[in-house]
Amino acid sequence: MAIYGLWVINKAGGLVYQRNFAEGLAQLTSNEYLVLAGTLHGIHAITSRLSPMGSSSGAQVIEGETFKITILLTVTGTKFVLLTSLAETVADAVLQRVYDAYADSVMKNPFHTPEMPIRSEGFDSKITALIGTGQA
Amino acid sequence: MTIHSLYIYDRHCICIYYQDWHRTKRPKPAVEGGILPAVSQAVSPLPLSIDAKAGTSSTYSSPRNTLSSSTGVVIATNDSAAPVPNTPLLQTPLPPAPTSSTGLAFDEEAKLVYGVVLSLRNMIKKLSGRDEQFVNYRTSSYKLHVFETLTGYKFVMLSDPKADSLRFVLRQIYIGPFLEYVVRNPLVRMDSREYGIDNEYFRTSIDRLVRGLSIFS
Repeated sequence: MAIYGLWVINKAGGLVYQRNFAEGLAQLTSNEYLVLAGTLHGIHAITSRLSPMGSSSGAQVIEGETFKITILLTVTGTKFVLLTSLAETVADAVLQRVYDAYADSVMKNPFHTPEMPIRSEGFDSKITALIGTGQA
Repeated sequence: MTIHSLYIYDRHCICIYYQDWHRTKRPKPAVEGGILPAVSQAVSPLPLSIDAKAGTSSTYSSPRNTLSSSTGVVIATNDSAAPVPNTPLLQTPLPPAPTSSTGLAFDEEAKLVYGVVLSLRNMIKKLSGRDEQFVNYRTSSYKLHVFETLTGYKFVMLSDPKADSLRFVLRQIYIGPFLEYVVRNPLVRMDSREYGIDNEYFRTSIDRLVRGLSIFS
């Protein structure tokens, strides 16, 4: 039971927020995270077209052998991505709470430019309270 | 709960086998040259002319045709000119004409599936920092499972989103039908990049295995 990281991807596929929590996954550079977020954005679009039965959403949960990636797509196209251990059951609830925090601390912030990286102490501290202490 | 389709790719990124079960949105047949011969008759180009040719094809058109005597059973047909005729082994009736199509031709769809699998596999490897395998992903209407062998064959299965991990099924297909009717079949040209691995025994055997699963209903 661990939450490894949180990403926020804007509607164009750019990574606007990335933070690590528990240890357990590889430490990557911010450039590598940007590339992975872009890839995930593309994959997400393709997965909704591969449905064998009618229309489909994009990928919601992606599983590896020791961790999983839970994706929350909002109606505005912003994606909240949570990397957790396989046994983690609260991923969906946490993402919903992160979305709430995003709405309150980022979208209502008059100094925030939409679709740009999130630099907001309010958001940071809300995430810390929600998930735990990050290593910045 | 059900299983929709199965794709097998070799290490050259080529789709070498396809089979589907419950699928309301079937792909359009592939364009000429889009897929290899002997991948799946259901999605091969010109599925109608194959039936017409089956009875009249010259025995001299291909050296392989010596195998397809009218009395014996064809064990491997790698040649598109000599497709498997309707044989009693494969009792499953062909699904009714596709009710609707994904709008994608099969070859396009196969490439997209492979692209997604490969990208996710690389992403999981990168994120974990280990040699960790990508296992599955789920959307609102289906779940995609992957099993990769050491030799680079990728078995991809699409199922109901509520299904548990079907990796063991893919493994069973690998150690059962695949080993028995593909690897040990001298008439299947594995790794050729020119032919798929479709043959009647393999298809029947997979069909039986999948239909026997509790999740298949």
